[in-house]
Amino acid sequence: MSLGNVSRFQTVTVAVALLITAFIVLVLIGVVTHSPPAVLIESLLSEEIQFAVRLSIITSVISTLLCILVAMPVAYALARYSFPGKSLVNMMMDIPMALPPLVAGVGLLLFFGVSPIGKSLAAAGLTFVFTPLGIIVAQFFVNLPYMLRVARSTFQSVNPRYEHVAKTLGCTDAQAFRRVTLPMSANGLLAGAVITWSKGIGEFGAALMLAGATRMKTETLPLSLFLNMSTGKLEYAISAATILIVISIISLYVFERYSGATHVY
Amino acid sequence: MLTINSLSKCLGEFSLTDISLSVGDEEYFIVLGPTGAGKTILLETIAGIYSPDSGRIFLDGRDITDVPAWERNIGMVYQDYMLFPHLTVEANIGFGLKSRRADPAFIREKVQESADLLNIGHLLHRYPGTLSGGEQQRAAIARALVMEPEALLLDEPLSALDVKTRENLRAELARIHEATGTTIIHITHNFEEVFDLADRVAIMRGGEVVQVGTPEEIFRRPDSDFVAGFVGMENLFRGEGSPDGTVAVGDLRIRVGRGISGPVSVAIRPEEILLSKENLPEIGKNVFAGQVGSVRQNGGLVRVSVDTGIPFRVTLTRQGFEEVDIAPGDAIYLAFRPSAAHVYPSGSPEGI
Repeated sequence: MSLGNVSRFQTVTVAVALLITAFIVLVLIGVVTHSPPAVLIESLLSEEIQFAVRLSIITSVISTLLCILVAMPVAYALARYSFPGKSLVNMMMDIPMALPPLVAGVGLLLFFGVSPIGKSLAAAGLTFVFTPLGIIVAQFFVNLPYMLRVARSTFQSVNPRYEHVAKTLGCTDAQAFRRVTLPMSANGLLAGAVITWSKGIGEFGAALMLAGATRMKTETLPLSLFLNMSTGKLEYAISAATILIVISIISLYVFERYSGATHVY
Repeated sequence: MLTINSLSKCLGEFSLTDISLSVGDEEYFIVLGPTGAGKTILLETIAGIYSPDSGRIFLDGRDITDVPAWERNIGMVYQDYMLFPHLTVEANIGFGLKSRRADPAFIREKVQESADLLNIGHLLHRYPGTLSGGEQQRAAIARALVMEPEALLLDEPLSALDVKTRENLRAELARIHEATGTTIIHITHNFEEVFDLADRVAIMRGGEVVQVGTPEEIFRRPDSDFVAGFVGMENLFRGEGSPDGTVAVGDLRIRVGRGISGPVSVAIRPEEILLSKENLPEIGKNVFAGQVGSVRQNGGLVRVSVDTGIPFRVTLTRQGFEEVDIAPGDAIYLAFRPSAAHVYPSGSPEGI
């Protein structure tokens, strides 16, 4: 590209790109630099923010593990086999991603709060409404499609002939999956897990509905941001936001690094 | 002995229809056919990747139709190698023995032996991505052979390689077959592989086996227009046969090897026709007068078209061409033995 040969069209498109990038950077810097460093560090170390960080990490790690556990067989079945109702399964698996999280949250609240299944679970001691357990379920429900999509496209990108060869070399279906497909999918699955975890850390709407926003009980980082913003404790809200920004950027980097040819959409 | 009885399998766009074949112990059997003929599914069904819709497969008299792939011990090598990219060459070759929970020392010894047979003993610690195509295919063959399979299935094993590597590996395959005595079923669309390697050949088309025989039989005596066209029978004429051993094609009466009545096809390989400027009638030979059409040089060969009322194509060596010394428009005589004219009843009118 030579400068003497720049069309107006090119100038306009590049200018829009640069402007919007500047806008995004300014918004993020505005949050991170809002509090003086001393205040930021103090609130980061406060008991409430420490609680929110711990709860966020615990719930998001558990919900991500659950997503991986469920997504792997489903993604494999969708990538490799044809079965009756496959296209319906494919569509239903994506619905939680398309729903507004608040709607997903209402659905979960009704399911676990008033449905017979939810009531018998509660009777058995598994209470999801207004508990940290509810946060995990909300994150799992909303984020499963992300893990599923990445896992499905990762499995699809592994030529089934690798498994065919493994089977002629004495592997059963399950062994061929474990010894060949799984290691060949490691990068894609890692990328999917990271994006799922990062979505889990940031999950708000569905978690708010199902688990409520109780300070020091169901207070994850996004709920802490919401609670402190509404009660005017701006520096606490800012610290929660700063942590979420850092996590997002790191996750995005890891995802881009390992996702290779796989796509979320 | 591998026997396939009336095998059918439908897999969407590809299918197999009523395939019956028998491949002997230590035989090198080649399946030849155009793309989409169902050759790969045939191998995958033999290997146990797919179970047939109908028909049975027997190995040494044992019905293996319902035996899963992992218990058949039939080796498979694909065109694009399919070496496991996350494992070294050594781990790739040892993969199957590890599935059998063999002793590690035994695995090492067998892997070395198999790698040496394929001349890749020095590559064992490399990863597949760092190898050339030829080296990868050698590793893939070693990985299958180390299992001492009942049969080895090769799916276009040489097609992805460059010419030089292909020739080397073709010679290797012959040597390996000789050395191990493994029954091999090899799929290809390359005729040179047939002549160099095959004990017998099956021609496939549209999911069916249309002819089985030695390479000589297939190339000299195709029994359908499809096979004749596929193996390069350029002189293929429709005519009316008589019991006296002649076939009327247009105004010509071609003497053929056998008497056969009714509508027939006559096939004559272009290299079996002689050209001469003088009429030298030999008893029993077919001799026709004609006119030289085009003359085209093609490598060491010269291809000449001759119009005798029906169009003939003749292939000469360059030396043979210089001896007859012809140019387009010359009057010429064309001669071939009756035994060179292969005749079979015209079947369906489908394409050549």
